[in-house]
Amino acid sequence: MAVSFDYVAKETAANLWRNRVMALAAVLTVAVSLSLVGTALLLRQVVNRQISQWSNNVSLQVFMNSNATSQQLSEIRVLISQEPQITTCTYLDHKASYLQARQVLAGEPTALEALTPAITPTVFRCQLQSANDAPAVAAIFNGVPGVFQGHAQFPAQSVRTMQRITNILQVVLLAIAIVLLVSSLVLILNAIRMAIFARRREVSVMKLVGATNWFIRIPFMLEGLVQGLVGAVVAAGIVLLSNVGVNYLVRRYLSSSTLPLGQLILTEVVVVLIGVVVGVVGSTIAVRRFLDV
Amino acid sequence: MIRFDDVTKSYLTGIDALAHITLEIDRGEFVFLVGASGSGKTTFLRLLLREETPDSGSIWVAGRDIGRLAPARIPYLRRNLGCVFQDFRLLPNKTVAENVAFALEVIGRPRGVIKTQVTQVLDLVGLGQKMDRRPHELSGGEQQRVAIARAFVNRPLVLLADEPTGNLDPATSSGIMKLLERINKTGTTVLMATHDVGIVDEMRRRVIQLEHGYMVRDQARGIYGDASDTRVRGYSSIGVGAVSGDDDDLVSMPRRQVRPRRGRR
Repeated sequence: MAVSFDYVAKETAANLWRNRVMALAAVLTVAVSLSLVGTALLLRQVVNRQISQWSNNVSLQVFMNSNATSQQLSEIRVLISQEPQITTCTYLDHKASYLQARQVLAGEPTALEALTPAITPTVFRCQLQSANDAPAVAAIFNGVPGVFQGHAQFPAQSVRTMQRITNILQVVLLAIAIVLLVSSLVLILNAIRMAIFARRREVSVMKLVGATNWFIRIPFMLEGLVQGLVGAVVAAGIVLLSNVGVNYLVRRYLSSSTLPLGQLILTEVVVVLIGVVVGVVGSTIAVRRFLDV
Repeated sequence: MIRFDDVTKSYLTGIDALAHITLEIDRGEFVFLVGASGSGKTTFLRLLLREETPDSGSIWVAGRDIGRLAPARIPYLRRNLGCVFQDFRLLPNKTVAENVAFALEVIGRPRGVIKTQVTQVLDLVGLGQKMDRRPHELSGGEQQRVAIARAFVNRPLVLLADEPTGNLDPATSSGIMKLLERINKTGTTVLMATHDVGIVDEMRRRVIQLEHGYMVRDQARGIYGDASDTRVRGYSSIGVGAVSGDDDDLVSMPRRQVRPRRGRR
């Protein structure tokens, strides 16, 4: 198609300038909504990293009765070696277990006095591959002769709380973002409609002298694309800033490392792509509905 | 060049805007399309441009049945049909040269070609000195010349003119007609819808008369009002444009030859 780049660039720029207030409104709405989308995406990734890190720290403790026989102990060892979920395991005998218990009970002198190495249960401390199966694995050991209790020890409560909070936060952020995205789509659509209206004389002359439909459409569609793209680039900048904030929070409150550059770039790319899609869809609808060529 | 084959077109009101029109216009002809407002002249032109499609019958332009044209091909049809209107339809924010160049720009002509063709056609219409003026700085006649230049710059096969002199005084109109004649001499078919009795009577070209959608006259070297037709005579006597004489003169005029389908000039 013989659509000269010069012509299209000139027309698009002229259109944008003529409609600058509407264009600005559309661009800003795109920027705000996409920064929310981007921040939500960042947050989600950070939380997922933290959760997976916690999952790796999950341990299983199998407390034995203090009078467990050595045969019962070796049966437990067999069970442990057969369980694929368990990666490593150490056995704490009475003495080691007693030392550990003293640490745990340091703040409670009465309980500490009652404790002697002989009555302290011995314990197997095992690392699990993932947190998800921890309760199930723990259940295997419950009821085996000699076992006092299989106890999966993982920060279940804090993981759940964090997941719940971030899920709610994400849903809220995404809901706001979707509403704003829809309104930016409508704003772009309206901006293009105004542009079409402002240029109806040109358009009618173009149709008359035989300009092809695409030749007439392309400057308007490009205008929408530019609005979406500019808004998205602004949003990408804001997401960069919010990444700094998120990183600060991660360092301050969480044990995981900050988000790697690759994931950040990916997030920015997603943000820009969404902006482009919003711009193109908005202007396409406008061109279809209001430009009868 | 142009052939209407039993063309009927009606709008939602159910009234036929055009009914059973069959005619042929050859390359290089100069044809007047006359008739009262609402007689179907504009529909005729809109059908040719394929802004409308006929309800029945077919229309051929340059050997193509334009009713069967794919929508994407319509722009290419219109490149062969230059268009001039009563209200000029120039772009007020562009200069004369830019207005004419616009017609070539939007069909993707290279810049060098545009420059030479625009200069050429503006010289042809006599506005070579006013290329950088804007339309509002020009008189009505000059604006219409710009519009004709824009319609003709792409060398169309046919020039369609919808009452091009409707807003102009008689002297200016005759200048426009001279220009259209000159364009016609280059081999371009000119089809002009008009109410201007003086012009039609003076030029003595082929006249096609429409009335309530029907073609009631197709006459070589015709005049605006046909003496044999009282309705038209009455219309002429209202005195649109330069009418010479009164009713009695018209009655006394000799009968013109009337042919439903015309032969060669």
